[in-house]
Amino acid sequence: MSVASTAPQPERHDPEAAAAPLGGGSSRPVPPPGAPDDHYEFHSYTVHPSGRRNVVEFVDTYKSFGPNQILRGLTMGLPEGMVSMILGPSGTGKSVCIKHMVGLLYPDSGDVLVHGESVPNMTESRLFEMRKKFGLLFQDGALFSSMNLYDNVAFPLRHHTNKSEQEIEEIVMRRLKEVGLGNARERFPNELSGGMRKRAGFARALVLGPDIVLFDEPDSGLDPVRTALLGELILEVHREMVEEAKAEGKEFLPTFAVVTHDIMSARRVADYINVLWRGRIVEAGPAEAMLNSENPFIRQFLAGDSQGPLSMD
Amino acid sequence: MIRATVDRAFAPTRGVLAEAGEMVILTGRTIVSAVRPPYAYGAELAAQFMFALRLCWLPLLIATVAFGYEAPGLQAANFLVLFGALDRLGGFFVLASIREFAPFVDAIVLAGVAGTAITADLGARRIREELDALEVLGVDPVKSLVVPRFLALMLVTGLFDIYALVFGVFGGVLATLVNNEPLGPFWATFFNNATTTDLWGSVVKTTLFGAIIAVVCCYKGMTASGGAEGVGRAVNQAVVITFLAIFAFNYVFTQVLLATHPALTTIVK
Repeated sequence: MSVASTAPQPERHDPEAAAAPLGGGSSRPVPPPGAPDDHYEFHSYTVHPSGRRNVVEFVDTYKSFGPNQILRGLTMGLPEGMVSMILGPSGTGKSVCIKHMVGLLYPDSGDVLVHGESVPNMTESRLFEMRKKFGLLFQDGALFSSMNLYDNVAFPLRHHTNKSEQEIEEIVMRRLKEVGLGNARERFPNELSGGMRKRAGFARALVLGPDIVLFDEPDSGLDPVRTALLGELILEVHREMVEEAKAEGKEFLPTFAVVTHDIMSARRVADYINVLWRGRIVEAGPAEAMLNSENPFIRQFLAGDSQGPLSMD
Repeated sequence: MIRATVDRAFAPTRGVLAEAGEMVILTGRTIVSAVRPPYAYGAELAAQFMFALRLCWLPLLIATVAFGYEAPGLQAANFLVLFGALDRLGGFFVLASIREFAPFVDAIVLAGVAGTAITADLGARRIREELDALEVLGVDPVKSLVVPRFLALMLVTGLFDIYALVFGVFGGVLATLVNNEPLGPFWATFFNNATTTDLWGSVVKTTLFGAIIAVVCCYKGMTASGGAEGVGRAVNQAVVITFLAIFAFNYVFTQVLLATHPALTTIVK
């Protein structure tokens, strides 16, 4: 994806398209309506090529909740088979992004594509079908409090497959052991620590063998060591799933997307980084390219520095 | 300018109407997905039925006996004693208890005890993102959570109506005994006035009360937002809206029933 393609497409029906300068396709996208001029000066909209196709794509997406504009012309892609990070300061709409991908929220304008298919235009039955491609780890695991750990992880299998209870047990126990919860199968979510709940949510997100796994702030509420361990686990599982997918000749390699504001885990885990600020991508690209970026905002953010364009307001 | 002022003035009304509309939509979706196969909600329906039963039987027993004894019992008895007509208390109880008070107390107890529990439960699940998780795992929360609660509450409220009117009438019996009168005349006027229309009217009415409680409480729970505080707010609003809706619906139902069954308006000796 090049810079040119991030410019608003004239055929999209949003008020901005008309205001976009005609001719000179490489011109910068205009800021969203009502935004002060200098709010987007660090948005270079540069996308360093990843050499892969995108499995999820946001096309000029706008979303607001009442007076709060969250996504303000977001154009972003998640390249296939990589661990992508969606990185950004708090309150920039990172979790909202995830909810758009799985159709829990719909954009006010613009489009969200999953495997080239438009999510907002899906019928309800198609949407439920499409969601099986996803594994989603919620912030606090979102385990069902009325079920024990085993039943929680077995839930998607019981609902979507005709597997026998024995096969289910095999898969569930494999996943539970993988996340280090093999001994906790009978315990209920309220008897677990925050980190354990996240790992259990991870196990549940993986049981259906999803093509795309989304992590909503996996590091929130965890200490640095646990965060690092969880990051390692994510990488390990991803590697394993990619190998499996290659061996099975699957159409799509498994793609992971992690939403976070934790720079440490981004440096450790990410193959690809999208930096989101004020509802738009500042810059995106493979991790090395991003860590060497000249953009002062990116440099400040990835270094976790208090000096730079990003301040308390 | 005028447009903006009008918009501002009617903004609260619009919110109320939008919410009422969403509840009607939820009712429609609930009925459609209850009828459409697969019927995988059986276990949850049984669990919710037992849950409401366990929670409500004692509060309802106390409320109906106490209310029946006190309001239509003692108060009306004091009045009837003036005319030496305490035997008419039985006939009065058909009007008071079977048609109005038993269904009312039934609905209020069910809304206050079972309805609030539903709102709190679903609200907590919304806050913990469990409902989002269900949807992402490809399970429709309306079908798996709202439908069983809807059916269970209709069933429980309808059945509890009979329970409530039995204990309500027992309150009348107590009031008669307290006035040192025999029970024969009480039962005589009671059964002279009681008709099957009274009974089914009462049961149908409370079954629909159950539907109202379930829809309002599920809606409020599923749309809770803003953390623990939001769940508390949702429970509070659910109770208020349920009561208002029940009072309003009761008026419409009674008017329609009396208009379509004029025999109910004559008092038999």
